[in-house]
Amino acid sequence: MKKERQYILFVITVLLTQILLLNHLTVSTYIAPLAYIVCIIMMPLGTSPLKMIAVGTLLGGVMDATMGTIGLNVIATLPVAYFRRPILHFVASFSDVDSDGEIPTVRRIGRFHFYVVAMVILHSLLFFVFEHMTLVNLTFIATRFVCSTAISLALVYFFIVIFTPKLTTR
Amino acid sequence: MHKLIYFLKKIYVPAIFIILEITAIALYSTSSPYSEARLLTLNHYLTGWSSALFSEVSGYLSLRRDNIALTERIAELENRINAYQSLLPEEVELGIDLQSSQYVAGKIVSNSINKPKNYIIVNKGIADGIRIGMSVLSAEGYAVGTITNCSQNFSIASSILNTSLNVSVRLSVDGSMGLASWNGGDSQIIELSNISKYAKIAVGDMVEAIDFSEYFPSGTIIGSIESFELNKEGTMYNCTVRLAADMSRISNVILVDNLAIDEVRRLKREPAPAQEQLDMLPQVEISEE
Repeated sequence: MKKERQYILFVITVLLTQILLLNHLTVSTYIAPLAYIVCIIMMPLGTSPLKMIAVGTLLGGVMDATMGTIGLNVIATLPVAYFRRPILHFVASFSDVDSDGEIPTVRRIGRFHFYVVAMVILHSLLFFVFEHMTLVNLTFIATRFVCSTAISLALVYFFIVIFTPKLTTR
Repeated sequence: MHKLIYFLKKIYVPAIFIILEITAIALYSTSSPYSEARLLTLNHYLTGWSSALFSEVSGYLSLRRDNIALTERIAELENRINAYQSLLPEEVELGIDLQSSQYVAGKIVSNSINKPKNYIIVNKGIADGIRIGMSVLSAEGYAVGTITNCSQNFSIASSILNTSLNVSVRLSVDGSMGLASWNGGDSQIIELSNISKYAKIAVGDMVEAIDFSEYFPSGTIIGSIESFELNKEGTMYNCTVRLAADMSRISNVILVDNLAIDEVRRLKREPAPAQEQLDMLPQVEISEE
């Protein structure tokens, strides 16, 4: 029960950071951090695909409601949630996804960093492809994608480092 | 029923995912004029790209059928040229001599190149107007063989790679005549003999069928000179000729019915006129004044 509470606290913290801070960041047009994807990344291993879809839709819907982008965040988040299991399997070579309800960590998954990077890149790619949907100003779009992905990745790791000890069962 | 339930159980999660994703895309596309226009452009681009891809693939798959159609078209056009040529005065020529010829496109059913006497079976026979003695040319118009036997729907042609076939040829540059035949070796090389030692011969010279050749229309390309040397007596050139038609890969052919050749053959078959017949010819009297 404590674990669930910790996880809900983690999600609320991430969402508030995203909504109140990151969505209003106006440092540069090249930077649009999407750190909320860490909620999907840190979902307990063995979560059923249906639950993953529900969480992905809900998370994307909340972000759309707060960012004023009707559907865009769902478009990007839902596939990441749905394909998390195959990504864990193929990218991170972790096939024991149904073993327990623990969150993914470096200790549990051998290629944990591959998994995190793949999830963040997939999410950012979908987001920016659907946001622009054009090849005009490709340099700008590519730079925006690279910079935003890098910042998102740094923030995702920040949340992982902060919350992993609290979410891990001892 | 159980199978249907099992099937639905198996696909309901991916189905939900697809439905939700499509719904999100639909919502996003209608959320603003910009996204609507962009999605429409993307849709047109993807549709165009996939149509082009399918078109290329189907075009590639239909190459065989197109090839046959093109060969038939060549035969039809050559027939037309022939018809136009017959309307022109004798001194006017439309390129090569196409008078008195009929063309039929055919496809090779069977072909051999590894025997001393190779034959080709073509999918056209008497029903298509094929007759013994017709020339067989490749789709490009190069010499391939001559029809030796016909059934109702198929014909057998003696390949140019047949040691029994001796073709009268000439050098296209010099005009010197000789006799070409296959010696049973390389399937791309035939021998050319009896070329005068005074002939101006060079490697690469084209070798073509002579006028009134028994097997091929006049000017039909046989191949090109690959090498040549004088015989032991030093009186004639012996040459090797690389065939123009790739006999191992040939598939579509044009069958040519040269009516002029028939006349030559008939003349050859007829016996020489007897002395009595010559005596019956009107005599011309020459008066001495």
